Amino acid sequence: MVTVENVRKSYSSVLAVDDLSFQAKPGEIFGLIGPNGAGKSTTIRMIMNIIAPDSGRILFDGKPLAESDKSRIGYLPEERGLYKKAKLGEVLEYLAAIKGAAKADARASINTWLARFDLMEWKNRKVSELSKGMAQKAQFIGAVAHNPSVVFFDEPFSGLDPLAQDQLLGVMTELKEKGATILFSTHIMEHAEKICERILLMHKGRMVCTGTMGEIKARYGKNAVQLEFDGDAGFIKHLDYVASVSAYPRWIEVELKEGADSNTLYSALAGRLKVRRFETVAPSLHKIFITQVGGVGEADGTALPGAAVSDSGVGAQAGEANDVQA
Amino acid sequence: MSKLKHVVRHEFRLTAANKAYVILTILGPFLIFAVTVLPSLLTQEPGAFAAGKPIAVYQAPEALRGALSASFATMDIKVESVDDEAVAKQSVLSGDWVGLLSVEAGWPDSGKAVWYSKSGSEVALYGTAQAALEAAAREIKIVESGIDPALVAKVLQSPSFEVVKLEAGGGETKAGADSFFSVLMTALVFVMIIYMTVLLYGQMIGRSVVTEKTSKTVEIMLSSVTSRELMFGKILGLGLAGILQYAIWIGMVFVLRTVVGPVFNMTIPSGLSMVNVLWLVVFFILAFFLYSSAYAAMGAASEDEQHLGQMAWPLLIFLMVPFVMIGTLTSNPDSRISVILSIFPMTSPIVMLIRILVSEPPVWQIALCLGLLVAAVAGMALLAAKIFRVGILMTGKRPRLKEVIKWVRVRG
Repeated sequence: MVTVENVRKSYSSVLAVDDLSFQAKPGEIFGLIGPNGAGKSTTIRMIMNIIAPDSGRILFDGKPLAESDKSRIGYLPEERGLYKKAKLGEVLEYLAAIKGAAKADARASINTWLARFDLMEWKNRKVSELSKGMAQKAQFIGAVAHNPSVVFFDEPFSGLDPLAQDQLLGVMTELKEKGATILFSTHIMEHAEKICERILLMHKGRMVCTGTMGEIKARYGKNAVQLEFDGDAGFIKHLDYVASVSAYPRWIEVELKEGADSNTLYSALAGRLKVRRFETVAPSLHKIFITQVGGVGEADGTALPGAAVSDSGVGAQAGEANDVQA
Repeated sequence: MSKLKHVVRHEFRLTAANKAYVILTILGPFLIFAVTVLPSLLTQEPGAFAAGKPIAVYQAPEALRGALSASFATMDIKVESVDDEAVAKQSVLSGDWVGLLSVEAGWPDSGKAVWYSKSGSEVALYGTAQAALEAAAREIKIVESGIDPALVAKVLQSPSFEVVKLEAGGGETKAGADSFFSVLMTALVFVMIIYMTVLLYGQMIGRSVVTEKTSKTVEIMLSSVTSRELMFGKILGLGLAGILQYAIWIGMVFVLRTVVGPVFNMTIPSGLSMVNVLWLVVFFILAFFLYSSAYAAMGAASEDEQHLGQMAWPLLIFLMVPFVMIGTLTSNPDSRISVILSIFPMTSPIVMLIRILVSEPPVWQIALCLGLLVAAVAGMALLAAKIFRVGILMTGKRPRLKEVIKWVRVRG
């Protein structure tokens, strides 16, 4: 369990992270999401105790990070850098060794990972000979070869081809299933959408919103339903909880009023239409991101008024935040 | 602690695999050999040039022939008269004669003496010939003037003179020009070795820190080890590599003294004693830690290698001062400036080493020098650790001196 409490960090005149709080739990993939310069990397560096926060606390299982905790943490920094003149296998063994891994265990683990990422034949070659994508994979191995129970990946997908990205998504899911706490940052929403249980969207150092993927989508989705049907759907637009419709002869999108439940609509349809498909329209995280972050930009660079709603803590109530979109 | 061990081992490996390190380790002894032993070998046997072949003289007066024969006899070179200059020149060209000294009629009053040889570069040979020519010319002129040569010899005889080195234990050694030359050469070589290795290792550490900083490797490192472990791991790793290098060199010197010297009947310079070599190692270790800590701090505080180069100038100057002043220091090892430089920690490793080699500095001065050096190393290490801790993560701008001072003052 990683707990971040009211953490603040400024670099001379720039407030990089402002009053940030969240928790990442074991067996969970937590996504730290935001545009470039949102303060994601600064947050991860503070959690790693590489830089110290100006105020606030960061706790591991309720205690501040001790040097001895570092051995159970894996870290993939945003900017990659391995000792270029050394051989890949040696560098990885070195990284595992300073994490306190036993030599034999580290070797076996490194070999498994190298084989998995098709890097076995590069083991005895210099790091400088690796391509960017290979170096990226190598760095990932460096972060996980000592079997950490907590991992921080800062933009793990950058520089990888789609095949390798999928491979990495698979690996992260596996780590989660083994019970690891995974915190990763990205500005590519599709990745977050695929594997994150919970996310925190941040912008200009502040939290915009946080919650489970479902909560976020419910909160920022435009509460709409799409229908495919046979019959006459003309009555739908007259229902008092319907805000608007865009109707076609066999397809209709219904936007429900605030607070309305799509189940109410579903019951109302029974017996009056032959429903072929009924789908609540979840907005993509990408769209939420654009709307939220774009909206922040327009509001003089200050955080959204809606951010206050989320200040109540992790997993704020869905539905409360609809005014955010105003 | 075990993490530090891993960092040390890693840095040691990286260094030992470095080409500059390997080359210096192998070439170091040759450098020592070339500068200390080779000159004495060559001055001992200038006749080696001739390889048993004689020198031809053409039209030399009796007195000159005698002087030449006497001078060249010490080199095992025979002097023979020839009748035909052109044939003799041919023989010189074909290599049968080492050289031809052709004396024109009327020499030494009019006409000149000419040395013919294939290369024109055998200074030792024609230098000897020239000395013999001068002596012979003088003798001829004295005889022509009607003065008794025996009287002249008596007048010109040099008074006897000796240089004796007094030792603290009451002993005395004859310190002729030869032995001083050898000590000077040893001092020069030792200074060169310390200067080169300390500079090389210091810059290696500085560069390694900057590279680690700019390539962001430091972030991964700091997610596992503390900044102190990282910095001291680097310094100790390189230090071990340096000590290994010195051990190899000392081994070579030992072999030179005990095996090569006796077998080839070479005189090993007296300055190249085991005690002096030990002093070299002691001062190298202290200078290494002093300068590498400083370089590590500067590496952490600088933006890139170029910036490091600019910042490290003061260090370079402290290292160069004794190197440039070596002439003054060796001829005046106990002057006030020498004493001050041998106690001031930034210059003391090299200057005190010179003083110990060529003179006998008071024990209190050596003790003070070592004490101050150890204190300076400790102080520099603490200071460096503080600068390193903040600087290593500072990117994007060049810190000002004021900021660096602030880093040092931050607690922890």
